[in-house]
Amino acid sequence: MTYLLSSLVNGLVFGLLLFMVSAGLTLIFGMMGVLNFAHSSLYMLGAYLGYSIGRWTGFWPALLFAPLVVALIGAFIERFMLRRVHRHGHAQELLLTFGLALIIHEVVKLFYGPYPVEYAVPAELAQTAFSANGLNFPLYRLFIGAVAVSMFVCLFLLMKFTRVGLTVRAALSQPQMVEALGHNVGLVFLFVFAVGAGLAGLAGAVAGAFYPTGPNMADDLGSIVFVVVVVGGLGSLEGALIASLAIGLLTTLTVGLDWTLAGALAPVGLSEWASSIGGPFTITLSSLTGSLPFIIMLLVLLIRPAGLMGERA
Amino acid sequence: MKRALLIGLYACGGLLLLAPFWFGDRYANLAIRMMIAALFASAFNLLWRQARLLSFGHGVYFGAGMFAVVHLMRAIEAGLNVPLILAPLVGALVSLVVGLVFGFVATLRSGAYFSMITLAIAELVYSLGPRWQGLFGGEAGISSMRMPSMGLNFATLNQVYLIVLLWCMVGFGILWFFAKTPLGQIAFALGDNEQRLRFLGYRTHAVKVVLFALSAALSGLAGGLLGITAENVDYTVFGPASSAAPVIQTFIGGADMLLGPALGATLLTGFGNIFSDVTRLWLLYQGIAFVLVVLFLPGGIAGSFATGKRVSWGNAAVNAFAVLLSSCSLIFICESAAVLLSDAYMSRRAGQGGAWVDYRLFNLDLAPLSPLVWGLPLLVGLIGVALSWKLSESGRTA
Repeated sequence: MTYLLSSLVNGLVFGLLLFMVSAGLTLIFGMMGVLNFAHSSLYMLGAYLGYSIGRWTGFWPALLFAPLVVALIGAFIERFMLRRVHRHGHAQELLLTFGLALIIHEVVKLFYGPYPVEYAVPAELAQTAFSANGLNFPLYRLFIGAVAVSMFVCLFLLMKFTRVGLTVRAALSQPQMVEALGHNVGLVFLFVFAVGAGLAGLAGAVAGAFYPTGPNMADDLGSIVFVVVVVGGLGSLEGALIASLAIGLLTTLTVGLDWTLAGALAPVGLSEWASSIGGPFTITLSSLTGSLPFIIMLLVLLIRPAGLMGERA
Repeated sequence: MKRALLIGLYACGGLLLLAPFWFGDRYANLAIRMMIAALFASAFNLLWRQARLLSFGHGVYFGAGMFAVVHLMRAIEAGLNVPLILAPLVGALVSLVVGLVFGFVATLRSGAYFSMITLAIAELVYSLGPRWQGLFGGEAGISSMRMPSMGLNFATLNQVYLIVLLWCMVGFGILWFFAKTPLGQIAFALGDNEQRLRFLGYRTHAVKVVLFALSAALSGLAGGLLGITAENVDYTVFGPASSAAPVIQTFIGGADMLLGPALGATLLTGFGNIFSDVTRLWLLYQGIAFVLVVLFLPGGIAGSFATGKRVSWGNAAVNAFAVLLSSCSLIFICESAAVLLSDAYMSRRAGQGGAWVDYRLFNLDLAPLSPLVWGLPLLVGLIGVALSWKLSESGRTA
């Protein structure tokens, strides 16, 4: 029971973190058609900047400045790089962000070395939120969850009830028409890209203190974020939220399960035969946790290619 | 006269291809790596050049071929009677099957979705790799030895080179020929306008699956050749780096020409071989070169020669000079940063009470706080950029 409860909360928090990163990605894709390969690199930059700025100013100001800097980097990428290759098509934009991800990875390794840095949780949050049956639950996890939820609420209110949000939503579906009505769509794109980058940076600055901040964090998260976006349906915030939570919960809930295919065959009496074959039959579910998101994605694609909330392809 | 010249050119090319056979192991090894990279990148580009499908997970098919061949070589060691020269074919066949299965799923979607799915499939295989001990050999991988066959003992790499050369010729021949077949032409049409092709009654998904499987099979052929050369393989071959390599090489070389990827792969493998001994920043430079090519040379190196636009030799020379200036300054600044940020330099500083002691680079003793050390390279670099900019501006107005 305790295991289930703590796994549920852990999964929820990890899912919310996934959502913080994938929200920007899915917005940018829905609006500009750009699949930003460097998005998880911006998340990593957020973590490293949070660490570096935090050494000068302390944790809380860094939490404000790191996302701002990442948003500025995002704005620069959009204005001076993406816009330049836009006329060559979406594939060229994708390649550009792919190259940027490579560069960011190497630059981070150049500045911070190949090993994780000691980006620590601040003392006031490094406590136990509650203990149940001898299992301590860190307060910082709740903090990550709270940041993600408040971010989602802000984003939702911004998109739903302000003029800016209205323009953004209009530009999402009909960019030419919005431009014809006299809105500066280029500026809207710049804004969305910068905000998306800033959100990834915020997620990095918050999560980096809890999870390891190393040069591989972009690669580790990046492919899962793509899974979230494909499963949720590209361009759909709600889909991204549902998919993030589902994947977050599934990956944490399966960590403790040692089910195998051989075990699953026990009711039909094939268990021993399967165990003797070994290979895929004796891999435990817990060791497959890392692969699970990708298996889910392949299943979703086979059953519902457009994703949970996506429009028909 | 022209004909004689062409024949002479072909003969020279043929001799050049055979040359590594007579040089030492190091050159044979380099030549083998270049040819394998060239074949792999070209196989990857079969999907992009014709059907506009951008795969970010081709390391899977390369790795599948490599594993298949190393497993086969172990079987040969145990007494199976298969000539070594046929081993890469087995790699290609295994990758063909793997490519059919994964290709069926991946090609359900096009565009950015396709890229993401291929990437996720690669991640899936990469994450399974260390778990499946029997097939992938866990963290240590599996290894084997080349057994003598057909009167050759394959103890040295220049004998292996002959096998690589043969199969690469076959691979490139298939790629060249496939583009001319009706199916290859349909694949081109698929890249231009898939919807229209579907309206015309073609089963576009089937075409994409076949194309994907062919591309996977040729990648597997390349992987199999590397399996024979390296004699061992572990699951890291499925990692992001081996899927990224053909993408980078293809687009730097020029994706819209048949031999563009081969050019890029040969150049980058060669440079990588030289530079990765000298600097640990080679991957950074490669990434920067890739982004610059994407930004300023959308056709890649081969494409920029084939645009048909006449460029005067003077302009080309000035442009090359400008690029040289800015790359020298970039390299100097990056290498300086690498030295100054290294642990070794930090501990030297700590030994001197935290002072910014001189550092050594390119046989020069440099003071880290001197404005000259940073200002001069910056100035040179800016001159290079400005020159290049000026040229492209004047090219646009003319």
